[in-house]
Amino acid sequence: MSVPRRLILGSALASLALAACSGSSSTPASSTGGKARTLEEIKSSGTIRIGVFSDKAPFGYVDAEGKYAGYDVIYAERIAKDLGAKVEFVPVEAASRVEFLETAKVDIILANFTVTPERAEKVDFAGPYMKVSLGVVSPEAAAITAADQLAGKNVIVVKGTTAETFLEKNHPEVKLTKYEQYTEATNALIDGRGDAWVTDNTEALAWAAGAQGFTVGIASLGNPDTIAGAVTKGNSTLRDWLNQHLVTLGEEKFFHSDYEQTLKPVYGDAVSADELVVEGGKL
Amino acid sequence: MNWAVIQATLPTFIEATLLTVRVAAFGIVGALIVGILCATITRAKLPVARQLVWVYVEISRNTPLLGQLFFLYYGLPKLGIVVDAEHCAVIGLTFLGGSFMAEALRSGLDAVEPIQWQSAQSLGLSGVQTMRHVILPQATAIAMPALTANVIFLIKETSVVSIIALADLVFVAKEQIGSDYTTAEALFLLVSCYLVILLPVSLGAGWLERRLRHATFGD
Amino acid sequence: MRHSGIELLFQGQNFLRLLHGLWVSASIALLAMSLSIVLGTGLGIVMTSKNRVVKFVTRAYLETMRIMPQIVLLFLVFFDLTRYFNVNLDGWSAAVVVFTLWGTAEMGDLVRAAITSIPKHQYSSARALGMTPWQVQRAVILPQAIRRLLPTTINLTNRMIMTTPLVALIGVVEVLKTGQQIIDPNRFAYPDGSLWIYGTVLLLYFAVCFPISRVARLLERRWS
Repeated sequence: MSVPRRLILGSALASLALAACSGSSSTPASSTGGKARTLEEIKSSGTIRIGVFSDKAPFGYVDAEGKYAGYDVIYAERIAKDLGAKVEFVPVEAASRVEFLETAKVDIILANFTVTPERAEKVDFAGPYMKVSLGVVSPEAAAITAADQLAGKNVIVVKGTTAETFLEKNHPEVKLTKYEQYTEATNALIDGRGDAWVTDNTEALAWAAGAQGFTVGIASLGNPDTIAGAVTKGNSTLRDWLNQHLVTLGEEKFFHSDYEQTLKPVYGDAVSADELVVEGGKL
Repeated sequence: MNWAVIQATLPTFIEATLLTVRVAAFGIVGALIVGILCATITRAKLPVARQLVWVYVEISRNTPLLGQLFFLYYGLPKLGIVVDAEHCAVIGLTFLGGSFMAEALRSGLDAVEPIQWQSAQSLGLSGVQTMRHVILPQATAIAMPALTANVIFLIKETSVVSIIALADLVFVAKEQIGSDYTTAEALFLLVSCYLVILLPVSLGAGWLERRLRHATFGD
Repeated sequence: MRHSGIELLFQGQNFLRLLHGLWVSASIALLAMSLSIVLGTGLGIVMTSKNRVVKFVTRAYLETMRIMPQIVLLFLVFFDLTRYFNVNLDGWSAAVVVFTLWGTAEMGDLVRAAITSIPKHQYSSARALGMTPWQVQRAVILPQAIRRLLPTTINLTNRMIMTTPLVALIGVVEVLKTGQQIIDPNRFAYPDGSLWIYGTVLLLYFAVCFPISRVARLLERRWS
């Protein structure tokens, strides 16, 4: 029963090779399979596949009847309607959003996707349909009221949200603890596992209003970031259509009514629609 | 593959490797202790303790670590007990691993033919002596592959600790993919780090299994 | 107004959704496990071979599958097969493939270990009685090996069921993800809903895994 050492070395190399293989994967130039579908191909197939979050209410979630709902979802349904296609929702995670696009397993991602220059190298963003300002929630007893107070503090964020992207880029001095779910983040905050929670200011205000002993010390941290739909790199027919579509939607104030239906019932009057909604694909 | 990205993110991965090793090492030692304890109690047929062990084993191996950690981390504070994430992870891993180790050891013990026990006894060996010199060496040899699989399983199972916001290897890889989209580099580093941790374990276990095999009868 | 959270289970289709999620987890794990038992038994028998090349290849496969985190395998099978070979598996099938690849390796090693743990004199005695090597395997070695295999195979099955939450990454909504989907939109109205839902998810896992362990234990007792 002897296993020569070189066998194991060999298998080690083999697994590394496999990994390296998957490695070259993220260069779109080398892709052969899974080509993105053009606008015409989507229309003639009669179905459009859109990747959304399934557990980030009120943007993309699944209701008690098992149906997709939320701000992103209403936009997605409208896109499908105006394309004359049926929509098929694909639940995505922060870590798989781009892979789904690169392999053309979805046509569009509408999953609270914060626009950054680095991401724009991997996917093509359409015009924005929302902007997000960040809020900082902290205990009233040790309120954080200025950005420089965050330095060295243990800050809670939810993965895949704008807060995570923003803090990593602009405040590398802050120690982040990252949770998968909103409820995990708030539980951790209540249990004293962090000094502050940074999240969309809408979420921050709505949660702090209902929780005892917590306050939104900073209601607007940094400049607002934009949220946009994304298509596979190089899929210009679809992106151009989306941009044109945003202009049309802007004329009827579509996103204001989307806001009224999905966000207002959750966030109330703490913020106004204009602080969040972007019409016409332009700030 | 972009080596600059790999270089830039290497420190994060090294930190995550250390965390993974730390949590896994304590968890595995804990699991072995719990496992030996449980296997002994079952073997000795202690009345009440045996039932308790049975209940523990069934709960532990029939529910996911993810859920166990969730209750340790988010549930206990409701009762006023706040344990930090890393301790939760070690406790959770011990709780889960204990039953897997117990089962592996038990199947090893059961595989030793009863005639050996009787023969040893008739040769005048005491119960403890029989256990130490006759039964245990064979049982361990038989249980080795399962124990190895468990150890590797527990190391890889540490990836679940991201539910309690610990930055283990899978967590940092997913993070890198999710925010920078350098999937290739992240997966490469992930596999390399696991290789560094698991290869010595796998190698060592293979060697140990071959050493112990000499203890079995008729080989 | 804050509520305890147990009501969440009975709102709309929530409980049915959880059961459906459980079916997704169980179907992936049980199908993959059945395939793994068949393929792994073959692999295990092959692994006892004395041929160096065979040993090398099988050992390499085992080590690779063991070391490779399942999340990497999921990425490879779900995304990279599409990217490089234009093989477009849906999430569920990709998950079954990944768990089968991994399960076959683990099963193979367990089977190999079980076979080699049978004292050699049994093999020699059976041969001396005039049985062919195949007859020895079937009539003498395998029946004993299977009995030794049962507990560890059950362990592996349960491990596989509990590893299924990973498949959320490739868009497969299993029981845990369903739980998170129920908790999230209710986080304002039911701040403690997560404990109830996670508790239920835990019970559901138990409801699947416990009977499997029971059956195994009964069989084991009957055969001994």
